[in-house]
Amino acid sequence: MTRKIRSAAGTVALGATIALLAAGCAGGESAGSSDGSTSMTFWHNSTTGEGKAYWEATVADFEAANPGVTIEIQAIQNEDMDGKLQTALNSGDAPDIFMARGGGKLADVVEAGQVMDITDSIDDATMKALGGEGAFNAFSVDGKIYGMPTAVLPGGIYYSKDLFAQAGITETPKTLAELEAANDALKAAGIDPIAIGAKDAWPAAHWYYFFALRECAQETIAEAGKTKTFDDPCWAKAGEDLEAFAATEPFNNGFLSTSAQQGAGSSAGLLANHKAAMELMGAWNPGVIASLTPDEKPLADLGWFPFPEIEGGAGAPGAMMGGVDGFSCSATAPKKECAAFLNFYMQKEYQEGYANAFHTLPASQEAQGVVTEPALQAILEAYNDAPYVEIWMDTTFGQNVGNALNTGVVDMLAGKTDASGIVKAVNDAAAKE
Amino acid sequence: MSDSQGESSLATKTPPRGRSTAGGGAITAPSPAGRARRGRADWRKRAEIALLSGPAIIMFLAFVIFPVVMAAYYGFFKWKGYGVPTDFVGLENYLVIFKDTAFHEALMHNGFIVVMSLVMQGPAAVAVALLLNQKMRGRSLIRVLIFVPYVISEVIVGTGWGLMLQTSGAINDVLIKIGLPGWAVDWLSDPDVAIWSLMVILTWKYLGFAVILFLAGLQSIPEELYEAASIDGASYWQMQRSITLPLLGPTMRIWAFLSIIGALQLFDLVYIIWGQYVASTAGTSTMATYMVANGRNAGNYGYGNAVAVVLFLISLVIALVYQRFVLRRDTEGALTEGKKK
Repeated sequence: MTRKIRSAAGTVALGATIALLAAGCAGGESAGSSDGSTSMTFWHNSTTGEGKAYWEATVADFEAANPGVTIEIQAIQNEDMDGKLQTALNSGDAPDIFMARGGGKLADVVEAGQVMDITDSIDDATMKALGGEGAFNAFSVDGKIYGMPTAVLPGGIYYSKDLFAQAGITETPKTLAELEAANDALKAAGIDPIAIGAKDAWPAAHWYYFFALRECAQETIAEAGKTKTFDDPCWAKAGEDLEAFAATEPFNNGFLSTSAQQGAGSSAGLLANHKAAMELMGAWNPGVIASLTPDEKPLADLGWFPFPEIEGGAGAPGAMMGGVDGFSCSATAPKKECAAFLNFYMQKEYQEGYANAFHTLPASQEAQGVVTEPALQAILEAYNDAPYVEIWMDTTFGQNVGNALNTGVVDMLAGKTDASGIVKAVNDAAAKE
Repeated sequence: MSDSQGESSLATKTPPRGRSTAGGGAITAPSPAGRARRGRADWRKRAEIALLSGPAIIMFLAFVIFPVVMAAYYGFFKWKGYGVPTDFVGLENYLVIFKDTAFHEALMHNGFIVVMSLVMQGPAAVAVALLLNQKMRGRSLIRVLIFVPYVISEVIVGTGWGLMLQTSGAINDVLIKIGLPGWAVDWLSDPDVAIWSLMVILTWKYLGFAVILFLAGLQSIPEELYEAASIDGASYWQMQRSITLPLLGPTMRIWAFLSIIGALQLFDLVYIIWGQYVASTAGTSTMATYMVANGRNAGNYGYGNAVAVVLFLISLVIALVYQRFVLRRDTEGALTEGKKK
């Protein structure tokens, strides 16, 4: 038993050593067996349909192009991913290639020496496709790159054009007042205005993030990301805005026991089945909605508009909140092969395939021409015009403070606390780290 | 339990000493041989005990005692779960726990569940057991209906009830359709209602277990007592009050003990129905869900271990107090109290 612990510690130390070596001498060693074959494990979060098929096909192509390399795929349900990954990393039995969203969550794993530094393994073609270093912001810790993006996922409000027409709404709301007017029109037509999957906490927290994005200046958000505390009054102001907005009862009936992505009763399912008119989500949503429509095809009347502007906020108009999905190599992975796989899926055809399979925006700018769905085109336009794009706050803050923030928002929406409760929840959580 | 162990049982097993020699030869004292045999038997008995209980003891040490010790060790660190814990903080985790209002709430919910489980399940289970002890038609059907929930796994129960109790779920649908829209409430997310929804599900699920125990207890009550009572002219209810309930006492006390321990450690149903985040919002968080939310899900493994230790100590103290003051009569001689000479 004690041996087990020591060996786990040894593995970590070994991993750190390998990472150091790798950083020092730019790779060259692969943890292959004697016959030159290498096998890697690969964790992603698409358990159904097209996304799952995409990864299977991509991995098969990669194996064909690289004889002797095999990749074993494991698809893991999104809500279980963080926990399982953490357990695997703790036990020193990490998957070689795993899903990463950057921010504080990745920084924690980097700090533990569990992730491979791939700064010098990025091909020129990949760099060109991504349009330069900026694309790696989410995956950079202390100037080194630890992950490869697959998709950019800016957030905004998805809506059903049919239901808007039914309620007589002709223009998408630009300001908060217009959004509230649209809610009233929808309610008058007997339609739940906004679906929100508060059971999973983070979808409800999206509303707070966006209000904060409008109320807080870019520097304030960056500062909070570093200190993980909410000192600036704009954070409480964002909470009050949300409280006032929630008081107009815009959310679906029973939103507190609604999940985000699982089944027809989830918030994405409500939108997919025309039971609710809007949902505030990231750019993965068209794919999720497509899997929940009655015929499992993309929702034909799905539209998108940016989060409404708020008067007097310190945030720049048009600023967006979003995430980047990507993949990292664990510190113990065979460096050459793992980096080769990351570069492999960044090729134009595979990024286009990714965009089609997941109904989302690919990270590669060369592949963005493949986006045809109107909702996604609207997002892409807003994304390219945005003065800056902030990472989802729970990702930035890491698991501990991020979860506390999400739960704090749900507590406020449920009437358990008020706006100051969100700030308190964040500042209290730091004590548990 | 009588104390027919050790000496007495051994004595009967030793072969009759000496030989019955015809002709009345002097019997040499066989004491050395006897002693040697006694020693051999002792050694053999020890080997037997070691062989039979060894695997269980090793499993118990490896999978119960060792993790408890490790949890206590980790609880003194701030630790993210990667590598070896290095940031020793002494009792700080425990201070944070005792100051955290979310933990106080979880503790209150646990207390509520402990008390209400006893209050709701106890009387109902006794009534059902008495009913099922009668010869009557449809008895086996009722038995099955009572026991089925106990056999179904927690995950299925949680998922099923969770779907039915959703605000737009089947139960509210039925209520609205039969003309009681005022009764359709947020069964799972209204903090005043959610814990009662949980209690109903718990009662539905674990009633079968209590009934099994009580039925077994009823079987062990001698029939003669009832015959004697009926000869003395006692009514049915008098018999139940003066014979059945007192003689069911030991069974009830054991059931209550199991129920209390189960309620203190309740995790699975809450986690399945309310998910990872909103149990505290709905007012159904328990110490175990608090531990998972603030330990594993938040990546604070040091803090989570400290919560585990607190939960362990609370359960241990309650269990020991209960055994000392309530179960003492029932377990006389069965537990390691040494032999009363």
